[in-house]
Amino acid sequence: MTIIVKKVTQLVSGAIFLFGIYILVHGHLTPGGGFAGGALIAGAFILLILSYGSDYLKLVDKEKGSALTESVAIFGFLLFAAAGLLFGLKTFFYNFLPTGEIGKINSAGIIPFCNVLIGIEVAAALLSIFYAFLIYKEEVQK
Amino acid sequence: MTLYILCFILLMVGLWGVLTRRNLIKIIIALSVMQYSINLFFILIGYIKGGAAPILRSDAALTTYVDPLPQAMILTVIVIGLATTALLLSIAIKLYKKHNTFDVNQINLLKG
Repeated sequence: MTIIVKKVTQLVSGAIFLFGIYILVHGHLTPGGGFAGGALIAGAFILLILSYGSDYLKLVDKEKGSALTESVAIFGFLLFAAAGLLFGLKTFFYNFLPTGEIGKINSAGIIPFCNVLIGIEVAAALLSIFYAFLIYKEEVQK
Repeated sequence: MTLYILCFILLMVGLWGVLTRRNLIKIIIALSVMQYSINLFFILIGYIKGGAAPILRSDAALTTYVDPLPQAMILTVIVIGLATTALLLSIAIKLYKKHNTFDVNQINLLKG
């Protein structure tokens, strides 16, 4: 890619990443949440890879890493859901943490944690799909 | 009512693309347009004029909320649409590798 594309991507992708994190952690206060924030975070990474190109040997490692991150995040989400079986009312997805005050960032119990974990999972899954396409392209070209 | 008719026109645009284009990638894009028209239709059904986002607020003066049920359903539809688009693209890549073309007229393996 040309120097213009590379420089603009360098400037913009960090802002996109931070905006994704903002959407993630404010998921219980504003519209948005896990899926939208995760898609934004994955978009920042995909923008960088598209503009700067990629190395085939690194891609396989990165694909493994993103698949592992996705699995760990969804496992943490499942642990949060199953923790409701141990505390409080002993039901699945029970909100056992204190709910706090409406409108504050540290409220709504386990919902912000679930949002963050869903966001990590969605970002890693989208990146895995993108890496799979890239790896396939490199294999065809060989 | 006008908005619903516009949604239907968008659906017809997608259907026209699916039926008349010959490039596989363009057919997949047209399918995505059809899916977005359905999403838009469901979101518009749940819309109430002047309604806010269905989230609890600290200022309880606001009482009119839009219907959150279509929004939750459409979020699921978007996720499934992402997965099906990825699947369709991978099938298109496989076909390109086999036939070296995206033209559906040239891919005539099943012709009797």
